[in-house]
Amino acid sequence: MSEHLVGTSHLETAATAAPERRERAWARPLYLLLALLLACALPWFIYPPIALDILCWGLFAISVDLLLGYTGLLSFGHAAFWGSSAYITGIVAIETGMPFPVAILLGALAAMVIAVPTGWLAVRSTGIYFAMVTLAFAQMLYFVANRASGLTGGENGLQGIPRPFFGMELIETEAFYFYYAALPLIILGCFIAWRTVHSPFGRVLLAIRDNPARARALGFDVEGYKIVVFVISAGIAGVAGGVFSSGHGFASLNDLMWTTSGKAVLITVLGGIGTLWGAMVGSGILVTLEDYLTTLGFEGIGIVTGTMFIVIVLLFRRGIWGSVQQAWHWALGKARLRWG
Amino acid sequence: MFKSSLKIVLGTTVAVSLAACGGAGGPGGGSEKISDGKLVLGVLNDQSGPYKDLSGPNSVEAVKMAVEDWKAAHKDDAVTTDIEVITADFSTKPDVANTKAQEMYDRENADIILDVPNSAAALAVATQAKNKKRVYINVGGGTSALTGASCNKYTFHWAYDTYMLANGAAKSVTDSGGKTWSIVYPDYEFGQASDKLYTGAVEAAGGKVIAHIPTPFPNENFATFITKAQQGNPDVIASMHGGGDLANFFKQYQQSGGDKSTKVVGGVVFLSDIKSIGAEPLKGMQFTDSWYWNMDKEARAWADRFQEKVGTRPTAINAGNYSAAYQYLEAVQEAGTDKSDDVVAKLEGKKINDIFLRNGEIRAQDHRVIHDVYLAEVKDPKDIKEDEDFEKIVTTIPAANAFRPLDQSECSM
Repeated sequence: MSEHLVGTSHLETAATAAPERRERAWARPLYLLLALLLACALPWFIYPPIALDILCWGLFAISVDLLLGYTGLLSFGHAAFWGSSAYITGIVAIETGMPFPVAILLGALAAMVIAVPTGWLAVRSTGIYFAMVTLAFAQMLYFVANRASGLTGGENGLQGIPRPFFGMELIETEAFYFYYAALPLIILGCFIAWRTVHSPFGRVLLAIRDNPARARALGFDVEGYKIVVFVISAGIAGVAGGVFSSGHGFASLNDLMWTTSGKAVLITVLGGIGTLWGAMVGSGILVTLEDYLTTLGFEGIGIVTGTMFIVIVLLFRRGIWGSVQQAWHWALGKARLRWG
Repeated sequence: MFKSSLKIVLGTTVAVSLAACGGAGGPGGGSEKISDGKLVLGVLNDQSGPYKDLSGPNSVEAVKMAVEDWKAAHKDDAVTTDIEVITADFSTKPDVANTKAQEMYDRENADIILDVPNSAAALAVATQAKNKKRVYINVGGGTSALTGASCNKYTFHWAYDTYMLANGAAKSVTDSGGKTWSIVYPDYEFGQASDKLYTGAVEAAGGKVIAHIPTPFPNENFATFITKAQQGNPDVIASMHGGGDLANFFKQYQQSGGDKSTKVVGGVVFLSDIKSIGAEPLKGMQFTDSWYWNMDKEARAWADRFQEKVGTRPTAINAGNYSAAYQYLEAVQEAGTDKSDDVVAKLEGKKINDIFLRNGEIRAQDHRVIHDVYLAEVKDPKDIKEDEDFEKIVTTIPAANAFRPLDQSECSM
């Protein structure tokens, strides 16, 4: 019954979206190629460790957007998954010396495992309550990590995380080369998010976001869908957190702090909720801005990012990427009217 | 043929003599011995977060003062006078500190990084120093892992560490008759570690800890914990709290009408804490301090100059940054180059007396800088005659007894 309905809704959306898709058939590969080129060129223009930070925070924000933009759930505790994967990745790399992608994937897996009970409890609530339950879980994990200093190093953090990669020394030591070695993992994370959104499953999520009662009436297991997307999102956040701790060579309690969750939400809103790629744009802007402000001797970094947040929320509800998209479509429409 | 050889000989002579002149260098110019012709000192600390008053912008000023003073002291013989101080704010985020440290070493050619007052950040920067083979002197961080399990050839620890904080107060207070202790600590990793360190030091000095009392962290109401701490009438009640918790604990302790004969000890207290809390709630509290601006004439003279420049009295960490920067420049001068290995060789084992270090020595084995430290007491507000003169030095703890003995260190370089 339920499967049949999924199929139907998919057909319907495909049908309604058909004309649009045809005219954009050439555009999508082009955009993807451009994005890939940009990602490859980034460390030539930006200091490589910062370029990697941009990708990590971007992917992390994409995982938040998957919940916030496509399922209507504001998670304020995503640091739990980012941070736990950061630690597990580090522990695996230190203890076993496995290649870093394996360590990161194991870290992401651990984040997904943690997400199952969290999600199971959290999805029973919505809105601010959902945010609070996720926040509570993240805080709990923060204190657990603080207490378990034998495993996590407590205040000192888990230091000296290696990034073994089949003895290729450049990748293991140079941030520039590590960037390219880690890029496929980031792309994998983006792909999973994109595939989730553009699947029948993703359509159901949209339905749940817009009208959970009707989705339930149509026979969808609303909670079940929410848990699944919550776990997927945690996995993506885990990939981002794992790459982050491998790149930096350490994991710290900061990775589990609520401010880390807040930063991910901030980046998502900045880039544009429900745009996926907007998260990367938001991350690029926020990370480079923060990096720039650290050397200015200016005391109020929070004031600048906070003001930016307020302006975006008040004036550009679609975020930076959403607004650019809107302007682009508007310009395209104008051009079409003029030149047919 | 002859002509052309002559040309070559002439040309070579001219070139060599020119090179020699250039090599001798005019005063003020950089020489080949200094990479990129100048020295770059990076100060990486917290300029917008909770450690801003402890270190922050004032430490940057202190380092600038050190550079000026050093230039004045070496007018003509300075190996270079082209010295730049750069700074960045990591606002307690270890990952930002890590990226910034790499950037300072790689892109801004920093020869040394100073400060970094946060344990996780300090250890991350130490790893970068090791990888990039550049000097790093930690001043504001407390973790004794920097000269323990995580020590490395290029990292030095200048002012204080958690071992010394616990050892100093625990030993001198126990020696002066405080035999039984109650330790109240915030129940998280740092508090537990402080509790352990204090217990070890008290017992080593022949005292006894009769109660270990964990409190939630952060916490507002300490009433029950204070009552628990007072049970069994200990000679000493020690609190391992910091910041706001520290203020709350001692305010409530005073309100509870604590026994006047009981000594109170603060585990982690800095001048900046007393400044923000005020002397009244903390009066009579004893703690270990690595330096105090009004402790003697020399410190005082420097503090006066500092105040003239910055407008406030220096913390121990400010003075420590001055001292570290100055001694680094001295080592560069002695080595005649800024090559890290040569500078480190000059620093190792060096005995130092300056405005900050008394009977100081840079231990070659673990790079712990040992020096005299002090048991300080917060003055009664009635006795404070001068602005910011909050502390009274009770005893001096000699350098040899203040820090972790080498045989207890896990350091192997």
